[in-house]
Amino acid sequence: MKEIQDFLVGRIWLRDFTPFSKKAIEKAINKGFIAVQKGITEKLECARCLEKSSEKIIPYNCAKCEGICYYCRHCIRMGRVSSCTDLITWKEPLEISSYSHSFSWNGELTNLQQQASDELDESLRRNRSHLVYAVCGAGKTELLFPPLHKALSEGKRICIAAPRTDVVLELSPRLKAAFPDTAMHTLYGGSVFEEGFAQLIVATTHQLYRFQQAFDLVIVDEADAYPYSYDPALARAVNKSLKENAPIVYVSATPSKKMLKSTASQSKIFRRFHGHPLPVPEYRSLWNYRKSFNTNKIPAKLKEWVEQRLEKNEPFMLFFPAINMIRKAEPLFKLIDSRIGAVHSKDEDRKEKVMQLRRGEIPGILTSSILERGVTIDNVQVGIVGADEAVFEAAALIQMAGRAGRSSAFPNGEVIFFHNGISRQMDEARNLIKFYNREGQR
Amino acid sequence: MKCYLCADLLDLKPSWRDLFFMDREETVCLNCRATFERLIQGCKICSASGPGICEECNRWETTELRRTIDSGQCLYAYNNAMKDYFHQFKFLQDVVLAEVFSEELVKAVRKTKGVAVPIPMNPVKLRKRTFAQVDSMLEAGGADYVHLLQKNEEIQGEKTKEERISTRGIFTWNGNSVPKNIVLVDDMYTTGTTLRLAAEILKEAGAETVTFVALIRA
Repeated sequence: MKEIQDFLVGRIWLRDFTPFSKKAIEKAINKGFIAVQKGITEKLECARCLEKSSEKIIPYNCAKCEGICYYCRHCIRMGRVSSCTDLITWKEPLEISSYSHSFSWNGELTNLQQQASDELDESLRRNRSHLVYAVCGAGKTELLFPPLHKALSEGKRICIAAPRTDVVLELSPRLKAAFPDTAMHTLYGGSVFEEGFAQLIVATTHQLYRFQQAFDLVIVDEADAYPYSYDPALARAVNKSLKENAPIVYVSATPSKKMLKSTASQSKIFRRFHGHPLPVPEYRSLWNYRKSFNTNKIPAKLKEWVEQRLEKNEPFMLFFPAINMIRKAEPLFKLIDSRIGAVHSKDEDRKEKVMQLRRGEIPGILTSSILERGVTIDNVQVGIVGADEAVFEAAALIQMAGRAGRSSAFPNGEVIFFHNGISRQMDEARNLIKFYNREGQR
Repeated sequence: MKCYLCADLLDLKPSWRDLFFMDREETVCLNCRATFERLIQGCKICSASGPGICEECNRWETTELRRTIDSGQCLYAYNNAMKDYFHQFKFLQDVVLAEVFSEELVKAVRKTKGVAVPIPMNPVKLRKRTFAQVDSMLEAGGADYVHLLQKNEEIQGEKTKEERISTRGIFTWNGNSVPKNIVLVDDMYTTGTTLRLAAEILKEAGAETVTFVALIRA
């Protein structure tokens, strides 16, 4: 029974798909430990992801019930929830004993990091939500460590949620290293089952559909990123996963106006950990680049820029507004240097390609906005083709520009906005970066 | 309306055709539609690429199951896009996906002029899956069909190719009256054993011609 409790406490799970035998689950239900509910409620809402639009909650003729059932398309990839599937939860909350968790992080925080860390600590002490607004390369993750250590030692259950699997896989080993003895699970689509109860969970935001009143604290990393900022179901999932009155900590380099308004308590760091200013984007016109690629030509100015990078032996990332443009451009760039690689969201090898760029095995990479965050490569130079296109909002432009100059050994990278006309978003991004630099140097 | 497969908004171009014909609403965007590979020409029975009748179908004519199937057609290749689609439809049980190919499937079925008979699922498995994928595609396309067969417990997917080809007696006739011309309908044609065993039973029960339409040639 203990094993079932460890797994199920704080979770909401499909009855027929637990790691335990159906008999064991039935026994726990009969003994009153487990509550059972219908997957789709009377009000036609999915009990797991709280979806209720008629586009996603679909009626059909069910052969099991020999009548009309509803199922949820929104969270179907986690195993289908329908009117006739049971969802189970553990009734009693689990008391976590407080003890001092081992903490083996021995880095040092800058004054600004320390201040933000203390402010966050104060917010958690008062149980209120908090926004950490810090520029790319400010060292956001590190400043979370001391407050996290305190909260874990107080017996709080904590989830760190990130928008994408890439970010989760990057965070997880860093947390494991900082809290080596804390029971921690890493959850994402396709992750392996880990036994026992985890006090600390690192997960993609999607995984929170499967939790209910589980956490004393949820940290939403990259809170402005797709899909969290676009899919209201994910914000609902975060709220559902929290215990009553538990706080949320948002972490972002580019928070939306709404987020800045709705979270009263904030810490701001407009300076990178190494103290150097953020590289300011330079505008470079690239007229009719789409036409150029369509006729199998790289625009001259772009070609020149790439050739300079190759000559100086500087790694580069070249962002594109659309996948089909990358497909067209890739063979053309390979004619300049056959080792130049390309990645996009549908590319399964993208992690490996990023590693190759980091190790210097390939000179540069063409990419969609999928690599706008969570990537650190020494001395990388950044070009954004079509910076004026509608898909590139100011936040995305700031994030892409934020790939440059991250390490203290190479704090000055080049960032070029290649454009076919200057957009408002480009100006907003550049003005914000200049503003951060002014504020950061005060 | 959003695309069933990629959730992008469907780009619906109004046309004169919409005004005059009651076409079914599109369910999948053009980009997703283009990832599927429609089979054209190929084997006269199973649509495998090549001229005339393919080697495999010729070999069937040397076995006890010869002349069970008179002709047939598979509509799509089992490429990656189709694998993803099929997984989401059959195993994730995303029932609405029956609509994606229903129109084409029903068109092919009607062309044969035979009475549509779906390959059935066994009742235990049907309750578990909660829907029969072939029936739901036919229903989504507005086609009539009759069930003439019953399937027993065995599951084809768990056997080797040799075991599957030598399988006997997985179907029995359910006693409903048997029309002269029948078109069997299935989701996937792999070795062709299932369809030939079903056709054999139907011919024994009085059918004169048996043809088939399958969505996928694996």
